[in-house]
Parts: sequence; structure tokens; C-alpha cells
Amino acid sequence: MKASDYMVLFYASMVAVPLLFVLETILIAFGYLKFTGIIEILTALGLLVYCMIGFKEVYSQKKRSINSLSREVTVSSKETRIKHGRGEKVLDVTVKRFNLGGKRLEAHTYKVKGNRFTTVLDALLSIKSEQDSSLAVRYSCRMGICGSCGMVVNGKPSLACETPLLDTAKEDRIEVEPMRAHPLLKDLVTDFDYFFSSHKKIHPGLFRENKKEQMNATSIYNQSREERDAYLPFSYCIMCGLCQDACPVANSNKDFIGPQALSQVYRYAMDSRDQKGPKRLNLANSLEGAWGCEFAGACSEVCPKGVDPAAAIQSLKFKMFAGEDKISD
Amino acid sequence: MKKLDYDLIVFGSGIAGFKAAIHASERERSLKICVISKLHAMRSHSVSAEGGISGVLYPEVNKDSKELHAYDTIKGSDYLADQDAVELLAERAPNEIKYLDHIGVPWNRTMEGEVEERPFGGMSVPRTAFAADKTGFFIMRALYDRILENKNIDIYHEHFVTSVSIEKKRFAGLTAINIGNGETVAFKGKAVIVATGGFSRIFKFTTTSYSTTGDGIALLFNAGFALKDMEFVQFHPTALVPSGILITEAARGEGGYLRNSKGERFMARYAKSKMELAPRDIISRSIMTEIKKGRGFSSDEYGFEYVNLDLRHIDSEKLSEKLPMIAEITKRMLKLDPGKDLIPIRPGAHFTMGGIDTDINGRVLDSEGNTAKGIWAVGECASVSVHGANRLGSNSLSQCAIWGRIAGEEAAEYIKKMSENTEDKKFMEHAENEEARLNRIIESSGKNNPYEIKAELEETMDSHFFVYRKESEMKEGIRRIAELRERFSDIYLRDRGRTYNTNLTNVLEIGNLLELAAVTAEAALRRKESRGSHSVIEYPERDDGNWLKHTIISKEGSGMKISYLPVKILKWKPEPRIY
Repeated sequence: MKASDYMVLFYASMVAVPLLFVLETILIAFGYLKFTGIIEILTALGLLVYCMIGFKEVYSQKKRSINSLSREVTVSSKETRIKHGRGEKVLDVTVKRFNLGGKRLEAHTYKVKGNRFTTVLDALLSIKSEQDSSLAVRYSCRMGICGSCGMVVNGKPSLACETPLLDTAKEDRIEVEPMRAHPLLKDLVTDFDYFFSSHKKIHPGLFRENKKEQMNATSIYNQSREERDAYLPFSYCIMCGLCQDACPVANSNKDFIGPQALSQVYRYAMDSRDQKGPKRLNLANSLEGAWGCEFAGACSEVCPKGVDPAAAIQSLKFKMFAGEDKISD
Repeated sequence: MKKLDYDLIVFGSGIAGFKAAIHASERERSLKICVISKLHAMRSHSVSAEGGISGVLYPEVNKDSKELHAYDTIKGSDYLADQDAVELLAERAPNEIKYLDHIGVPWNRTMEGEVEERPFGGMSVPRTAFAADKTGFFIMRALYDRILENKNIDIYHEHFVTSVSIEKKRFAGLTAINIGNGETVAFKGKAVIVATGGFSRIFKFTTTSYSTTGDGIALLFNAGFALKDMEFVQFHPTALVPSGILITEAARGEGGYLRNSKGERFMARYAKSKMELAPRDIISRSIMTEIKKGRGFSSDEYGFEYVNLDLRHIDSEKLSEKLPMIAEITKRMLKLDPGKDLIPIRPGAHFTMGGIDTDINGRVLDSEGNTAKGIWAVGECASVSVHGANRLGSNSLSQCAIWGRIAGEEAAEYIKKMSENTEDKKFMEHAENEEARLNRIIESSGKNNPYEIKAELEETMDSHFFVYRKESEMKEGIRRIAELRERFSDIYLRDRGRTYNTNLTNVLEIGNLLELAAVTAEAALRRKESRGSHSVIEYPERDDGNWLKHTIISKEGSGMKISYLPVKILKWKPEPRIY
């Protein structure tokens, strides 16, 4: 199930709860019950408002554009260098470059030629090697598996190496800017220190009680296909940071450990080989953890590897509701 | 300048580097260990490994044995592999797969819940364990998550190593740029394990990450250590046109065909019994021969001549369960559906069998064959030599896992026994000189664009040192590389800032690539035979009488010193290589 499916369920329950209270009121009116529901009704109304805020946040996230920038933007244009070839087109690539000295974003527009195979990363690297080699971009594998090149392309958090230039361009223009939930470093590059420290905080790593046996393995742990499928989708995380960037909570609350780390709590909790048990869930049982999530679902929308952190986090909440995080003696 | 003290420095953060750090830490909890990566440590090129890791897990089920694994590897290497090292590989590989299972790799499973193994090129029976077609990625994530639990290991992300300091044949430390803020950092250490990967980026059409620039190999070469078998570069038969992105050999392991423009499965002409699962060198040559004989496709749009990979007959469930990334990549990059369309591929540089000359335990050797104190090299940057003239698919991940462990444990023992330290003063002098050198590079204002030099180097290597090599072309290539190195001494940098200056790190990488390309070219021209991945048109046959030996190259003044070393032949005598 995608996060959006969970969202439907979640909102459906939001409708169901007030209906129950209406029923309760009727029962009270006919004298079958004593009146006790006023606080609960207020809670239900509160939850409805909360849902509306959630919707609004998802919506505004998608709408994020140049106009919403709080930082000053200046514009300059660079020289063109074009070679002609089949199926090639020349585009305007606007790169919002962060300048640490001036503490602001500067929009630079470059002419770049591309064909239907050219990716946004190809375009940026051609700018770097042919027009302005001071442009800072983080990149490595160029095949969508190393997680280096997360950035915002035409308003959408994306991996540059997986984003086709021509298909993404609108009226022969494309706009690239750095992610925002991570501190800006230079041009398109952001600082991942906090992001990585969150991942470390949840103590990933498969836990076994007999560590000696684990480190000197001489057998295979049996695991059925069904057991594997329970955690496999959540093990695709490439730590690109896009979910963090899309998350409205992470953008406003710097203590929230974020969808990436939380999805990894769930990934290991669901692995039949893991023996950390309730202690693992406990790592996420806090307001900075799973309970900080407002279920906007933006993380799952932007994940380039289909990890669905939103589903993972709601499942963590269900597990905690069910008391699976309680340590018994 | 910042100075840091460590017992063990692991230079490189791929599978081999992570394994080395973990096992050193497990062996000796009191050691202070660091891992230095020029990327975020979990993003190393090992993540791009797709098909799987070799190792005999179920000898009864698959009618397999460690001896057969060793034999396949040696035959695949065209008899240039050292047979003691290959036996070690076959012996230890199964337990490494089990170890990786114990730390969380999501292997594909059989109905009984055991690890599934798939057929691979040059392997007699299925013995390649896999996690879909993202095996390297999953191993990297499991290792990274594991390493975070080892409290005595510090990770330095985005630190670019610029020099290694050796005092009296003993490791003293290394210097690095903290890419984030541009600061020079002096890492003093008692021992180093170099695990920086290969250098396939000397070529343009390559399957590998932008980061595979052989930094560790070039630094040790410049510090006076020897390189081995640098002429042997593996060209993977199925690199996607036009980007060069890898289409795993597992696509053929799971039943894929190669077809020429007549629709024929042309491998019948070259490897009757193994067909599409012959070793990579043979298939790459076959593809280039088909293209040369006019049975390839050509497309202006792709800009390459190519043949096709056919997966249309494989059922869609199998594709999505075992080759999901391949489908993802072809759909995204070319809008082709492997269930319905043919996939355009051609050979691309993929793996460098050559590298830092080490003994069987990964200890680095100088040009006289003496071991240096406190220096190990493991993984693709090292030449043990377990792959000889041609590596079999899925042997690289086992190599990284095994020698990572061996070197990590050995280094821990070495440090424990070590009594006196190297001098602080001398090392800091070295570090200050290095900082001054880097400052000069940042200020470079010559007339050449380093990126143009890199592009020309790539084109030279692609056209002069590809699958088939010709003496006259190689000579011309060597001349061009020399000219490029000359031009590289007069370059300019645009970025003079300190924060995340990749203009500077790119220039250092290009310097390393030029150095390694020159060594590769020289070694290639000198080997007057065809063996494994090295095919010379003038010498089409393997010549065991004269050339059953490793090429050893070290630096001498501004030139190179070349010598040869006999191959360790134990049980398996060279025989004709027929598949």
C-alpha cells in the first residue's frame, strides 16, 4: 500500500470518529447513555483541523516555486557554446547558486544543448566543464543508486541523474536549485551532517544477541520470501535526502529526525533476522521520532526509489499503539 | 591546518574499505580507526555492483566445489592469476556471503528460505548469490549501518586525500582536503589500508562512477610503490548505449540473448557451449567483431555502433523479481521496455584488473618486491592477483569482502605489536609542504582548461586502447598522453574559493588519471601477445613461453621502470581456453 492509500484510510477514520460521536449524542438524547462526550467531540474537531493543515502542507510543498523564496535573487546570463547534432535542442538552464559569502541564492542562466538522452546532471556537468568550472554539484554514479545528486528541479525534489532534460523543461527552460531542509553549503550542494547523524541516532544495523556468532558467520539465517518481502521495499533507501527536503515537519522543526531515519527503524524492525525487538521501536517512540510525523505524505511522493517512508512511519505508530515497544521482563 | 592521530587509517569506503575497518575494529577494540572517503562514505562505487557475489554455498545442490570455483577463475583469468590467491578466494568466499547475510543483506531466497544463486559468465554452475540486481548497493548499506555501531571507527565524509607520507619505507600518515571547508587535514597514522577502487574513468565509454579515478593507486605509484598488470582493463560486454550505464551480466545469467543486426545469437560462432555466458573478454571481442563485420547496428542518435540484448522471452515476474533495476534504467533512460524491446548495448570499460602490487595478504610491495611497513591495499585498487588477465563476473565482490577482512585483521595485529612511532615533526613538515602545493594549484592561471584535457584523454583511451589494440595506434596513444600531460602543467582553475571546491578536486583527479593512463598505455604496448582482456592485432595468440608473467611498473625519475614477475602456477597448468 502506498502512503496515499493509508491517507485515504486515515481521513476516512477522521470522518468515522465524528459520526460515532453523533451516534453517541443520539443515544444520550434517548436516555440510553449519560452525556460524557463533549471533550471527545472537541478532540475530533481538532483532528479535522489537523488533517486540513496536513493537506495544505502537501499542496504548498508541490507548489513551491521561485516566488516563495525568501532570499534575495539576482540574475545573470552566461555565454553560449553550442554544437549542432541530431535531435538536439538548446535550453536555458537556470541554476540558483548559493553563495556562502553573500549568504544568498543567485540565479545564473546557461545555454545547454541536449538530446532525449541528456539528464539534468549531464547538463550541469557540461556547464561545469565548458562554461563555469566553479559550479559546485555533488555527483558520482549517474545511475540513480549512489544518492549524491538530490536537488530541486522545476520545483520538484529530484535526483538530477534520473531527470531527463528535455522532458522536464517547460518552454525550453529548466530551473535547478538546492534542497532546503539541509543547510546550504555552496551552489547546489547542501550539508548532510545532521541528516547522517539522525540516521546514526536510530542505531541501524541488524542486531543479534550472540554477536560473536554474528561476526563469525558459518551458516545462513533462514528467511522465507514472505519474510524478506516484509522489509525489502524499505531497504531501497539510498540516503539522498529528498524525503527530508519534501517533509513539511523537517522543514519547520529541526529536531525531527525525519522520514529517512524513521523508515530505517521500520526496515530493521521488520527483518526476521533482527533481534532488537521492542528496543528498536523505542528508538522512534518520541515527539522527535514517529510522533512528530504529521502524515503529509510528501516524503513518499518524492522518494526516487519508491521507499514510502510515510507508510513506514504510520506502521511504526500502529506498532506502538499495539504496545509492541513495551519491554517485558 | 588540522592534525588528527589514528592507529589505523582506511583510505576509501567501498566494500573492501568498510570490511577492513570493521574487522580491524572487531579484532582490537582499543584501536583508533578512521575511514576517509572523498564522497559521502556510503556512496562509493561499490553501490553500482549489480549481479552478485560468488561463493560455493551449496556444493551438494549445485554439484559444485571450491576447487571448481578456483579452476573457473583461473581459466577465466587466462592463466595469469596467482593460483594461491585464487584458492584463498574460493576457500573464503562462502563465509563472507554468510557474514553479509548476518548483517542484513536482503538476499533473494529459494522457496526453502536459503540464499538463491544464479548462473554467471565463465562459472561452470550457479554460484553467484544476489539481492535482485542491486547486490553491491545492498552490501554497502548493510556495511555502513554496521560500521556506525563500531564506536572506535570515525568516518570522514568528503575528505579528498592528496598525499601519502612514507618515512624509511614506513607509513607515517596522509594529508587530505576537507572538501566542505577547504581545510587541509593531516592524518597521522600507524598503518593505512588503501581501498580506493579502480581507474576505469581513464576511458570515456565506461560503466563506472565519476569517482573511479584510481586516486590511491596514483598516490602510491608516486610514493615509489609498484603497479602490477596495468594493461588489463575489463570491457563489460553490455554497457547501455549511449550513457555507458551497466546492464548486469545477470541479465544473461537469467537467460538473456545477444543478437546482431541479422537477429542471430552470434555467440554461437565464438563460444558454442557457454554462449552468452562465456567470460566477458570473449563476449566483448565477439561483439566488436560482429560490428566490424557489418552485423551491428548504427545510429546517429546514439552516436555508437552496437548490438542488442534480448530479454523479451523472459517472463515479466522473473524480470521484476531478479532484474528490477535493469528495467527501471532502460525505461527511464531510453523509454524501452525490456519485456517488449531490444536493448542497445556495446562493450564499455568496467574493471581494472591491474593495480597496486601486493602479496597474498594485501601487503604493498615496492619495486624490489619488499613489503612496506604499515601499508595494505585491497579491493579493485590492488592486484593480488586473483583476476589475472580477465575477471569473472561476481568475483570482485568476494575479493573485496575477503581481502578487506584479511588486511583489517593483519593491520590490527601489526599495530598491536608496533612499539615506536614515526616522528611528528617530519610528518608535519610534509603536511605543510603539501598545503603549500595545494594553495599553488588553486591559484593556477595557465592557459589550458583541465576538463578539455580530461575529455581528450578519454577519447584517446577509447580509440587507442579499447577491446582490440594495434601497435601503431598504441604508440600514437602514448604520444598523445605525453602531450596531454605536458599541457596539464599549464592549466587554470576558475574556483579559488575554499568551500566545496570540486574544481580543485577534479584537477587532482585528472592528474591521477593522466598518470595511470600513461602506465596502462606503456604496459599495453610492451606486452606482445593477446591474453584475457588484452588483445593485440599483431599478436593474436597467447604466448605462454614468453609472457606467462606479471608486468611490474614503478616510477624512476620522471620515467618508468619495468620488470616482470613469474605467475604462481600450482595445480592448474595453462591449457587452451575454449568455452
